Amino acid sequence: MVRVARVAAILVVVLATSMLAAQQTPPAATSPAGSGGLNRGPATPSGPAPRLPNGHVDLSGVWQGGGPVGNIADGLAKGEALPIRPEYQKIMDSRDAKDDPEANCLPTGVPRRDPYPWRILQTPALTFMLFEGNIHSYRQIFMDGRKHPADLDPTWYGHSVGQWEGDTLVVDSVGFNDKFWFDFRGTPHTEKLHTIERYTRTNMGTLVIETTIDDLGAYTKPFRVSFTARLRPGEELMEYICNENNGFVHHITGSAKEF
Amino acid sequence: MYDALGGGVPMRVNVGLVAGLAALLLMARPVVAHHSFAAEYDANKPVTLKGTVSKVEWMNPHARFYVDVKDEKGTVTNWNLELASPNVLVRNGWTRNALKVGDEVTVEGSRAKDGSNMANARVVKLADGRRVFAGSSGGDAPAPAQK
Repeated sequence: MVRVARVAAILVVVLATSMLAAQQTPPAATSPAGSGGLNRGPATPSGPAPRLPNGHVDLSGVWQGGGPVGNIADGLAKGEALPIRPEYQKIMDSRDAKDDPEANCLPTGVPRRDPYPWRILQTPALTFMLFEGNIHSYRQIFMDGRKHPADLDPTWYGHSVGQWEGDTLVVDSVGFNDKFWFDFRGTPHTEKLHTIERYTRTNMGTLVIETTIDDLGAYTKPFRVSFTARLRPGEELMEYICNENNGFVHHITGSAKEF
Repeated sequence: MYDALGGGVPMRVNVGLVAGLAALLLMARPVVAHHSFAAEYDANKPVTLKGTVSKVEWMNPHARFYVDVKDEKGTVTNWNLELASPNVLVRNGWTRNALKVGDEVTVEGSRAKDGSNMANARVVKLADGRRVFAGSSGGDAPAPAQK
């Protein structure tokens, strides 16, 4: 009986956390789905966020989650819907899952995350985000007060500048291409995309990332999504070269709607 | 984390409830590492394959192994079985030697929607009888012990 109860308890927790994950919660420490295999190891720590000698909050560490994976609409406030233009809804509805750039080992873009850990590395003039997953790539955020250059070539991660607003790192990015999808669901955007990400380490183990999506090409108004990343203490990034053996992507036959 | 569930974990649950929860878990939408699960595999087409491991690809983005399955007429079909990424498997204690060519295994998984002899492996029963989650559609895999 004790054993049955223990199995039941585990099932209840796993099921409940998977249901939570399916709603709003990002891949969390105990999510059975897309956790990047990090369900083991130490629990997410609490306690105050650490600070750098210059007084700013230290965002450094290996994190998990913090952005959309399956559906960006999961990050909307309750009762909100994506203000998507009808012609872009059509594009979204016509997308096939096999064409998801991420499934083809191309970058996630912003603000999408994949179910692998990533690291924030802070230096005085630059903040880096190093991604283990697709595609073992990085973002660089200029912290030296520069502005976005005019006439940027559109790229997967765009051009990012950051500044502190109190204890929140605000990252402003433009210059994106229109190739990446926001999620498995195939939520689209245009090259007009402008993102404002607000990174707040609310405690030692929690990083809340609120992103304003400003793309009047595909949407009728800016909207905001919120996801939470969890610290993975003791974890290190591992090598992940997605293109090593991705020859089976043509077996994906379904619509992106089925994500 | 568990506090967020709004209550303690019930410690006395009957077997029927356990079975029900297990069934629910199996029906839950799985999320594979870097692509949509549901667009590639059909959770409603479970498949159980018993055979001999013919090849192991410990590679990204998914580890794969191939199993020769013999039918009652003696015809051998080679199946392509997808696991999680090596990183996910390693973080859960797997090693690249957990499956070896020649091993007799039984695999429970979901068939590819395109009808090919391909499946997402959910549970692998190893030659010595141990059942281990494959770390793919189930997310996280208890490790097979070292051989």
